[in-house]
Amino acid sequence: MKLTALLLLLPFLHASANGYGQEKFSLNLDQVEAAKVFARIQRASAYRFFYLQEDIKKLGKINIHVTEATVPEIMQKVLGNALAYKILSNYLVVISPSQMNLRQQIELRGTVRDENGNPLEGASVKVKDQNIGVTTEADGSFTIAVDPKATLEISMIGYQNVEIQVNGRSRIDDIVLNIASSGLEEVVVVGYGTQKKVNLTGAVESVGSEVFENRSMSNTTQALQGAVPNLNLFLEDGKPTRSASFNVRGRTSIGQGGNALVLIDGVEGDPSFLNPNDIESVSVLKDAASAAVYGARGSFGVVLITTKRPTRGKTTVNYTGNYSVQSLAKKPEFVTDAVTWLEHFRMAYYNTQGTVPTSINNNTQFYSDDWLERMKAWKASGEGPKTEVLPNGDYEYYNNTDWMGLLFKDRTFTHDHNLSVSGGNEKSDFFVSGRLYDFGGIYNLDPDTYRSYNLRAKGSLKAYKWLKLSNNMEFANNNYHMPYSALGRSANIQRYIEVSAFPSLPMYNPDDTYTRGGASTLAAFAEGNNYQNNKQNLFRNTVGFNTNFFNNTFRINGDYTFRYNDRDYFWKRVKVPYYQNANASAPSYAGDLNGIIYEWMGHTLYTASNIYAEYENTFAYKHYIKAMGGWNYETSAYKANSIQRNQLLLENAQSVQLATGTSITPGASASRWKTAGAFFRLNYGFMDRYLLEVNGRYDGSTRFPVEQQWGFFPSVSGGWRLSEEPFWKVSKNVFSDIKLRVSYGSLGNGNISPYQFLELLGIGNSNLVLDGALNKSTRAPAPIPTGLTWERATTTDFGLDFGMLQGKLNFNGDYYVRKTTDMYVAGPTLPDIFGATSPKGNFADMTTKGFEITLSWRDKFMVSSKPFKYQLRATLFDYVSTVDKFYNPDKRFTDYYDGMTIGELWGFRTDGLFQEDPAPGDYINTIFKSSADAVWRAGDLKIRNLDKSADNMITKGTQTVDNPGDMTIIGNTEPRYQYSFTLNADWNGIFFSAFFYGIGKQNWYPATESAFWGQYNRGYNQMPAWQLGNYWTEDNRDAYLPRYAQYNGALGFSNHVPNDRYLQKVSFLRLKNLQIGYALPETWISRTGLKNARIYFSGENIASWSPLYKWTKNFMDVSSAIGNTDSDLSSSYNQGAGNSYPVLKTYSFGVSLTF
Amino acid sequence: MCAGCEMDEPVITSTDKGAIFSSEEGLKAYSISFYDILPDATEQATVEQALVDYGATNTLSGFTLINSYSENNSSGWSWSALRNFNYFIVNNTNTAIAESVRNNYTGLARFFRAWFYYGMVRRFGDVPWIDHPLDPSEEEILYGTRDSRELVMEKVYEDLMFAAENITRTSDAAQSSLVTKWAAYAFASRVALFEGTFRKYHNLNLTTSAETWLKRAEDAAYKVMQESGKTLNSSYRRLFTSDVPPVSETIMAIASDANLGIKHNANWRWASETYGTGLNLIRPFVCTYLQKDGTPYTDRAGWAYEDFYEEFQNRDARLNASLRYPGYIREGNLALPVFSGYARLGYQPIKLSVDATVGDSRTESTQAVQLIRFGEVLLNYAEAKAEQGTLTDQDWANTIGALRERAGITGGLTSKPTVVDNYMKENYFPDINDPVILEIRRERAIELLFEGFRFDDLRRWKAGELFEKSWTGMYIPGVNQPLDVDHNGSDDVIYYTDDAGLAAAAALSNNPNPYKVKVSTNPNAEIIQVHPAGNGSGYYLAWFTNNDSKKVWGPKQYLYPIPVGAINLNPQLEQNPGWENGATNDGN
Repeated sequence: MKLTALLLLLPFLHASANGYGQEKFSLNLDQVEAAKVFARIQRASAYRFFYLQEDIKKLGKINIHVTEATVPEIMQKVLGNALAYKILSNYLVVISPSQMNLRQQIELRGTVRDENGNPLEGASVKVKDQNIGVTTEADGSFTIAVDPKATLEISMIGYQNVEIQVNGRSRIDDIVLNIASSGLEEVVVVGYGTQKKVNLTGAVESVGSEVFENRSMSNTTQALQGAVPNLNLFLEDGKPTRSASFNVRGRTSIGQGGNALVLIDGVEGDPSFLNPNDIESVSVLKDAASAAVYGARGSFGVVLITTKRPTRGKTTVNYTGNYSVQSLAKKPEFVTDAVTWLEHFRMAYYNTQGTVPTSINNNTQFYSDDWLERMKAWKASGEGPKTEVLPNGDYEYYNNTDWMGLLFKDRTFTHDHNLSVSGGNEKSDFFVSGRLYDFGGIYNLDPDTYRSYNLRAKGSLKAYKWLKLSNNMEFANNNYHMPYSALGRSANIQRYIEVSAFPSLPMYNPDDTYTRGGASTLAAFAEGNNYQNNKQNLFRNTVGFNTNFFNNTFRINGDYTFRYNDRDYFWKRVKVPYYQNANASAPSYAGDLNGIIYEWMGHTLYTASNIYAEYENTFAYKHYIKAMGGWNYETSAYKANSIQRNQLLLENAQSVQLATGTSITPGASASRWKTAGAFFRLNYGFMDRYLLEVNGRYDGSTRFPVEQQWGFFPSVSGGWRLSEEPFWKVSKNVFSDIKLRVSYGSLGNGNISPYQFLELLGIGNSNLVLDGALNKSTRAPAPIPTGLTWERATTTDFGLDFGMLQGKLNFNGDYYVRKTTDMYVAGPTLPDIFGATSPKGNFADMTTKGFEITLSWRDKFMVSSKPFKYQLRATLFDYVSTVDKFYNPDKRFTDYYDGMTIGELWGFRTDGLFQEDPAPGDYINTIFKSSADAVWRAGDLKIRNLDKSADNMITKGTQTVDNPGDMTIIGNTEPRYQYSFTLNADWNGIFFSAFFYGIGKQNWYPATESAFWGQYNRGYNQMPAWQLGNYWTEDNRDAYLPRYAQYNGALGFSNHVPNDRYLQKVSFLRLKNLQIGYALPETWISRTGLKNARIYFSGENIASWSPLYKWTKNFMDVSSAIGNTDSDLSSSYNQGAGNSYPVLKTYSFGVSLTF
Repeated sequence: MCAGCEMDEPVITSTDKGAIFSSEEGLKAYSISFYDILPDATEQATVEQALVDYGATNTLSGFTLINSYSENNSSGWSWSALRNFNYFIVNNTNTAIAESVRNNYTGLARFFRAWFYYGMVRRFGDVPWIDHPLDPSEEEILYGTRDSRELVMEKVYEDLMFAAENITRTSDAAQSSLVTKWAAYAFASRVALFEGTFRKYHNLNLTTSAETWLKRAEDAAYKVMQESGKTLNSSYRRLFTSDVPPVSETIMAIASDANLGIKHNANWRWASETYGTGLNLIRPFVCTYLQKDGTPYTDRAGWAYEDFYEEFQNRDARLNASLRYPGYIREGNLALPVFSGYARLGYQPIKLSVDATVGDSRTESTQAVQLIRFGEVLLNYAEAKAEQGTLTDQDWANTIGALRERAGITGGLTSKPTVVDNYMKENYFPDINDPVILEIRRERAIELLFEGFRFDDLRRWKAGELFEKSWTGMYIPGVNQPLDVDHNGSDDVIYYTDDAGLAAAAALSNNPNPYKVKVSTNPNAEIIQVHPAGNGSGYYLAWFTNNDSKKVWGPKQYLYPIPVGAINLNPQLEQNPGWENGATNDGN
């Protein structure tokens, strides 16, 4: 047996193939058994001989006389043709009967390069049909012992495989790997393992580090936006701190919701903490079949982010740094001429109220027509701004303040430094990286700075041939400073400038005290005493092991991770003084008179354990089998405490300890969950032609009631490589590869928040002064859901991949249908007397249909005898969701209803603007009004009497689909037809790339308080410059906007009802990134010790196009328009639309140096 | 690997109902949430900035603006507060807690349940009676019809009597913010008076007669008068301007506290023309304030043409406590009404704001806002007895007499009036021939001004037509001339009709910076108007009289329409009469 057994193990033993010693031996022996010869060599060297006694005995006694002979020479003499032998890389010489065909091997050296001639490290060099192989060194070199007639297979992730006939050569230095044209040769990361793309049957899309290179981005999420079709990342505003939830393939659930599961190196993580430079690849598992091993948390897709692996060989040091200039992509343009603004204020007020105003926004400034006349005269005189003191001491201002200009810097600077060191050998390797990202803030007086640090150290140790231990440690820290006005965290600064800082007002009075408008807005910035500081730390460590047995056909892997995340928020409010009257003995104040400090500290400890085994083998060259199974267990414990207290001892207090007031509000929150699951995956492939994969997971979660905690979620997928069929006769030059895929799977949605199924009475803080105090309070709990079970997402996916024209053209496409069933939503809407929101239950079903298409073209041609290589990639993706079931028998469109398309917007059709005052009976609209006396006048918006009711009354009917009154569906707010284009080109060291991303169709109706409306909302608002000349007057009857009137219900001020006239198209195309760079020629840099040096220019968000701009011009970026929240604020009403933190455009200059 | 495959994670920051209902601390914490149904301080302090007949506002309220109100924009059909009370009442059964303790808290819950239903019945008439937290399966209730006003009000009365008998607290010296036994009795007198007079004047023939309810009102009020120890506080104004309201009279108030950071907007809302509705009193109402001697102002010679200074002389002291009067001082400065702004009609209220200015343009007010006070109880008692025809001179002296005495009135305090005041009858209640009832109604409006009673009072008296009253204000002797309205020797205001008039008046003014107010003699003008007073030279200020034809009150408006959404959800809810199928407040 023994030898056979040994031979079976052989493949393991050559894993490190460092060639063979060239030791030489001199022997002079007569009539000895061969065993004696071997013993002599063993004594003098590292060679060890392995043989069966009976084989050697056949040789009988031999004579041997050699001088300075190598082992192969000696073996030839000893064994002749009677026996064969094989020298293994660890100096083991195995002798076997000749029929085993272990003939003498030659030592072959070679070098593998890419098409640019750069050495390729880590390429696999394998003897065809044998389990013998080595990997290349950092310089691309390899050494392998082969039969002179062998065929080598050279492969590497991302490159096309190459086969080379050895033909007795001992040096082959011209091996070139071309970048995988079809992509099918790639290996992509999938759940608990990797898969060759050619074998993929699910919908998996993957991008590499190129997405992140040379870009100045504060975090990973921002860089990924638009990069992967149907990985939808909608950032709420332009803040550098901003991340987004990861959505795959559109609407998930209208019940529990749910996002894609994001795993970093196999463990759930938050990409906003991740150093983008550390990322090697991002895989998105889109369909249920691919995500099934993650069970309930993968029900809406999985995003697998893999960090860079250490490079072996010579230690590599890489520095990349860039220095960026950032500015507003679009600066909000408001009227800054006070006379124009004031005239419009008066007009808006008068046209609604029918009276002349006496003050502007509750006495922020007093108004009189006299003042307006004086202001006009002053403007006509051509003299500059001034402030006068009236006889009663009141200040009267003649100013033209550009408040947005005061708020925003023209430009700010950001720098980003990243240093990584990587190296190792066959026993151990390491990768250490660190990053500093420092954003200077776009606000002027108290910049909103953001600084983040990242540190990663990972390494592995090959303890035994079969065991590798690894560790991956990550630390991240970020600090964000956010100033706000004296009105505190509830006030969006741009919105408050619009409503209380008028162009006519300066920030300062002549004696350098603040004006009232200044005090309500930027004075707190100037004082630097109203702000929040958010600090976050993340520490994460994963320790893991990988084993392999039986010729690497069987592997067991395991890891354990803990992640500790703490957040520390500090908020402070301090009053800001101002004067409206020069004679006042004491100031008035904006803000909280006593001052408030709020501190919040929370932490989450999360642990994850995985252990899984996999078996992979090919039988009879036809049957490929891979099986994987394992166990996962995770726990999470979150806890936070907060305290708020008023009455600051010092204005610059930085701790609640320096607050001494009696209003003390403590708070606490906590939540814990656990999840466990057993999972498996089976792959079968026949002749690389038919592929089958089965996945499943038995999943448990603490978030469900005891009897519902466990569920089993299987899935299946299959692929057919048409191009591998014998009958496929189409030339490979036309169609290089075609694969059809189909998958089906059904997963539970485990996104339910903990404790939903318990009847709980929360303890809150009452805001009422009762018995002289603020008391703890509790109240009736929400009615508990009954019969709770898992929501399910069932995805069917059809895919087609093909390559054409020798792989120059590649297509990947998927069409999917995802049915989310048993969604956990409020039950049938009950009559109001129920007294609570209807108990939730598994009442709703929804279908989401969508597709993704990626088309790429890669080619090169010669320019000045240098190759000009270029690549184009275009993606198009879409989804649309419809509600299949929702208990709403009357189909009230204020709620979901059967057949509803998600995002549909109900509103009125319009018939333009009244050109004459309508007769009172001709048009009756009690839903809203555009003036205080509810009379409709020329210039008002005319809502269409869509239902042609005889009484000419505009109604909402019963707000049901069957009786909508005059309402109808006027648009849809969901993004449709998202697309991207990427262009890369490279010539003679000069590289260029451009990345465009866009949305093909989307509607937006500006919300009530949106900056879009200007003085149509509140008459004292700042006036968007684009509205000048665009509103109805008798001389401007074709104007876009109606009669100039404040609190104009027709435009949505009250009883917010959208209409089609002011519905905005917010589709857009954005040039997200543009890069131009130059790789310095090796000849220039070789003497400096540099291996590689590049300089580049990179721009982010440098241009955008949208139909919205037709009216609003440069008023706001399309993303700022839609965005209507700032989650750093605690706003009670929507202030954001058009006022969200602006999108920034970035010009950055950077270098990348590799030593 | 799987230390706990039992998937169990207990919650630690909240608790189940067992824990709450097993200790008095738990009951107390729960009872705090009952108070959420009360209006907040700003709301209560501004409750009469709209929908009152005696005030002019800068916008017409939709409910009385013709064709502006219907089931489509109706509201108030919200029932979540009730569930909170019912959940408590049904679950407060743990016998480990003494019954008297449990009954005290259940009494509180039933007090607030009565508060809730009183609001519902006032607004909608018949409403479903629900006494437990509903389960979705109780379809016969959820999709049932409304219960009769008769049934619901009997339940309300039961709740209030249970509360009055079981609530153990009898006083709250801190800020009178807590519900006491006397709050329950006092509130019962309010509810019963409303119901009794509503049934009487609307001729509702229900099983329980109007008289039954009037007697209930009388009895509940009497209980407070006899047993609570409450008295009238010597200062009327201090009732509304103190952070700690006088405990002698206050039965319940909404407290604020600067140190706790709980403040309200009362001063801001009563000072800013645009934050709120800028309510001014109208002169026809100001004229109802008696003279010091107890006789009607409208009996005074020349009353119709008295200017700002003159009309404030020798009047009921509550006039000066309610309006900026000639010589009103704030923080040491003379504070005239803001004639060019807030005081369009000349009468700028101060009753619910304080004399300090800090809260004039920001949320800094901390004065307590009255919810229930002894003065109202006296009025309830007087009216209940008068409506029954049983009011004696002694009752008069104890109630209206006492209130007038506090207001500095010297005459007519001890015996009830015997002569109808024609001004009151003609201008306010033409159908009332009983001089006592007329005087009680005069007294109630003046004493309880802005405290939130007027809208209900007019509805129960079936006097909604008063909402159509034209808004005329202060008398001025002339336009285009400087006026020294407070007779202190310095000109205060110029009402001018054109630039020439202004220039002429400014030349004559002895004050370089008087208020300058542009007015129009055109009754359809959309600015402040002046209407000839009838004496040849003088004018009355007027406001929005171009809108007089749009003010509307029809019979249907004594009840609100049920919001159409509620009817859509449960068609068994029949709409209140006149409001069916989207009909608007068209006057019918």
